[in-house]
Amino acid sequence: MTMTVTPPTATPADPPAVTSDGRVVGRRNHRVLLHVGLVAGLILMIGPFVFMALGSFKTTGELRQVPPTFLPEDPTVANYRDLFDRLDFPRYFFNSTVVALAVTAGNLLFCSMLGYALAKLEFAGKRVVFVLVLATLMVPAIVTFMPLFVLISNMGLANTHAGLILPFVVGALGVFLMRQFIGGIPDELLDAARIDGAGEYTIFFKIVLPLCGPALATLAILTFLGSWNSFLWPLVVASTEDMYTLPVALSLFSIGQQETNVALQMAGALVVVLPVVILFFAMQRFITQGIATTGIK
Amino acid sequence: MAPAKYSFMACSSEAGRRGRSSGQRSLRVLAVGVVFALVVAGCGRDDEDDADAPPDASGETSDGTAGTSDGTTSDGTTGDDTSGSAAEGSISVWAMGTEGENLDVLAEDFMAEFPDVSVEVTAVPWDAAHDRIVNSIAGGEVPDVSLIGSTWMGEFAKLGGLEPTPENIDPSQFFEGSWDTTVVDGVSYGVPWYVETRLIYYRTDLAEDGGFNQAPANWDELTQLVQAQADAGAEFGISLLPGGIGSWQTYMPFFWQAGGEILDDAGDFALGSDACVEALTFYDSFFEEGLAPSAVSDVPVEAGFTNGDVGAFISGPWMIGVVTDAGADPATWTVARQPTEAAGTSFVGGGNLAVFEQSDNKAAAWAFVEYLSRPEVQVKWYETVKDLPSVQAAWDDPALADDELVAAFGDQLEDAKSAPAIPNWEQIASAIDDQIEVVTAGETTPEDGCAAMQQEAESIGTGL
Amino acid sequence: MTAIIATESIAATPTAPPRRSRPSRKQNLVGWSFALPFFAMFVVFMAGPIVVSLITSLTDLRSTDIRSPFGVNFVGFDNYVDVFSDPKFRKAAVNTAIFVVVGVPLTMSLGLLAAVALNQGIVKFRRVFRLGFYLPVVTSIVAIAVVWRFLLGADSGLVNGLLDQVGIDGPAWLTDTKYALPSLIVMAAWKNLGFSMIVFLAALQSIPVDLYEAAAVDGAKSWQPFRYITLPLLRPTILFVSVITTIGYVQFFEEPLVMTQGGPLDATLSVTYHAYNQFSFGNYGYTAAVSYVMFVAIALVSFILFRLLRPNT
Repeated sequence: MTMTVTPPTATPADPPAVTSDGRVVGRRNHRVLLHVGLVAGLILMIGPFVFMALGSFKTTGELRQVPPTFLPEDPTVANYRDLFDRLDFPRYFFNSTVVALAVTAGNLLFCSMLGYALAKLEFAGKRVVFVLVLATLMVPAIVTFMPLFVLISNMGLANTHAGLILPFVVGALGVFLMRQFIGGIPDELLDAARIDGAGEYTIFFKIVLPLCGPALATLAILTFLGSWNSFLWPLVVASTEDMYTLPVALSLFSIGQQETNVALQMAGALVVVLPVVILFFAMQRFITQGIATTGIK
Repeated sequence: MAPAKYSFMACSSEAGRRGRSSGQRSLRVLAVGVVFALVVAGCGRDDEDDADAPPDASGETSDGTAGTSDGTTSDGTTGDDTSGSAAEGSISVWAMGTEGENLDVLAEDFMAEFPDVSVEVTAVPWDAAHDRIVNSIAGGEVPDVSLIGSTWMGEFAKLGGLEPTPENIDPSQFFEGSWDTTVVDGVSYGVPWYVETRLIYYRTDLAEDGGFNQAPANWDELTQLVQAQADAGAEFGISLLPGGIGSWQTYMPFFWQAGGEILDDAGDFALGSDACVEALTFYDSFFEEGLAPSAVSDVPVEAGFTNGDVGAFISGPWMIGVVTDAGADPATWTVARQPTEAAGTSFVGGGNLAVFEQSDNKAAAWAFVEYLSRPEVQVKWYETVKDLPSVQAAWDDPALADDELVAAFGDQLEDAKSAPAIPNWEQIASAIDDQIEVVTAGETTPEDGCAAMQQEAESIGTGL
Repeated sequence: MTAIIATESIAATPTAPPRRSRPSRKQNLVGWSFALPFFAMFVVFMAGPIVVSLITSLTDLRSTDIRSPFGVNFVGFDNYVDVFSDPKFRKAAVNTAIFVVVGVPLTMSLGLLAAVALNQGIVKFRRVFRLGFYLPVVTSIVAIAVVWRFLLGADSGLVNGLLDQVGIDGPAWLTDTKYALPSLIVMAAWKNLGFSMIVFLAALQSIPVDLYEAAAVDGAKSWQPFRYITLPLLRPTILFVSVITTIGYVQFFEEPLVMTQGGPLDATLSVTYHAYNQFSFGNYGYTAAVSYVMFVAIALVSFILFRLLRPNT
């Protein structure tokens, strides 16, 4: 089993074939077709969001109209004003960010360490650890909810950032993902470093982690999002409003037992999604360039 | 039973009590994390003890806490006289939705009158308020006072989470049906804060066009009213829930009107009685004849009601505002009392206020609850968030009495019942919802539906 | 020739082939120093609560017992017996099986399709597409539900409105027992394909271009490079994505919760939803039992996937 790490390419791969004249024509058709398909897909995927974004500028009355309108008849920013007036946004934003960053950092470090150990090191109990961790991925979250909460509150961590962070600072998904990726790094590379006298920690931080760029970026995005959007745990752990995260605060807008304010919900959803969209847009470079920029041949 | 009792107490003494010192805290961590795993097999539910115990959580009496039914709690606070003891210190209050967002208004008034007390209000989303309260009791991280959905009382009281209502609060000032939601197995655990009940909303103009000119007095007339709406061109004469979450609240009034009772005098379920068959047959008749839509429409009912597609529906007071906002001409619709057969009963729901057993400032907590139950405060609350007062005296205020539509709800509240305050009610209600859906879909007969309701309820049990 | 993300099944082959002998003391020390930080947290916050809940499944614990959790009866496997004799559970199990069997392949193939399309060098505005396709994954289900209800409404929905334009009387997508579950499957595929897409993209990015160039020189046509280069090299990633997606889909819950509340007539009741209902009813012992039944099912399916997608040797 040999291994080549992708040579640094400025732009991602060109499509397979390119020589004869006939091929060029085929390629142009191919390109048009591809873009038509992608644009159609994109419309299907983001159409609902456009609708949501437009909806956030409508009044509740207009949203209730049948048939629904597409463009706001009488655009209003009242929903956003309401949102920011009624909620202490900077506070919730701060809480969500702190929690999501801490959870992400913990997952990146701990999961890649264990992933490395599982993929490239030999130690007693290795398989047991992997099977155990993988197994927890399969236990529905709802079932551990109550014991976990009793544990956290007995540790005195209810209504603290630590209580929001600690239970999620390690995750089975991350271990699985990192183990799969690190497993693909050639042993020759690591063995060479070992011969040069590098310790396992040096190898891990200097060689393995840099090679894991795309995997780490993927894991970071997934973990950050999971934490950012999580609702039930922060709802239960954060017992006063100053510890609420964004999703919890926004769910205050279900007006009563019987009604919800859809317009506010749409505006709220947009406000929650926006930071994540920006983050994703900024991060996706790393997913694609991680390996390319390592410069290893 | 002695050995079982012994192990029960040994186990409870470690995990059951909620001490506040850090030493106990670490012990409890140990207890929860390890001891539970090791000794659970040795602990058993002591059924005899259960049966003989005073009407509160059996675990509590067994772990050395004085029974709470007499109003005395383990830490020596007496719950039966709040007016005498000076309220001071701070209390935390949870309230959901709009109530949570606006309660600060009343809290400030309260603090002006009781300067030694500081009230901290936390708004909690309705979505998972139930789970959150259960967890908070389990983890010992409770607020002092919370708004509690009226159908949750049985469960939380049985859980040992709530403090019995002190005796100086007079039950007769509240609507009877509403007060009943606080009473679990003979003991009251809180007071009604706001109420709602269900009336018939209908289009008077369409009814007249169809030749029906009055409020429906009985079931026959309700059918005539609905038929008249359909004759006058409404696509559906009435919109009723064909099943799904909460449809029991629309169905149950008919069951009561037919003379049914959910629990008989012995405390056993009587859901499958003749009254059920009558009520369910009547309910189903609207679906059979195509007078009611067989599936919940994605067009909100207020839209259909406003444009005349829907002639009538049964719902609570919040729909007054919703229908008005939808642009319905006030001259074209009104609300009517539930029809009368053996009775003219409607459903009463709403929110209660309860003080938690684990609260460490019960005196101030009850003082706040009492304050919120004052008629003038209830009126102010109505003016703030439109919640209907649970205190009857508040209804004399012109703010309510002069509003015809609102006053109609006040009338109906005098004849309105709630679900029994039993811990398993939510589960039984869900079984009732299922049977309503099966019957209205034509999958089974009302007879079989009623039999199934009764059988499900019996197998679930009251949970008391 | 080349394996980018080499993998192995948990079943048999150890990871690093040359070092098969029993690990030395030093290896153990080094290995555990990497594993311990995770493992310690894992034991406290994941394994611990799971063990407690496993024990719970053998008791008659109810929400009304939580202040004296030791005062419950040990009931053996009664809860498990109850689970299997509960018609609601059986209905939910069938719905969940359909959801997984149809939903996982659908979601993954759409995700792979998007990833392969976006991995073509000629695509303009690649980042915009990638973001767009991933957007549903990041959006809260509550907001998605609001929009999808507008789309799928029987009387005022956009889809039926469009169908109406071409003279088709669209069905009640969410309130008809025949269409409710398929509608939710499509919605789940739409929401989740972005996850498969970004993982596949990360893997595709690491397939060397020269492989395709070589294949082109050898005269490979149309889909042949995909079939003989891309797919085999993606095998470990397909394993990863299918395991994760399957685990997620077996626990399918949010879509029916926000769209149909499990109705009509339990047509969209899933096992997790059933467990959630029982949890809200306070039947913790039963809830835990349902969860462990699911756990066994997921473990079995995962085992099969690991077997099927094990690297060719």
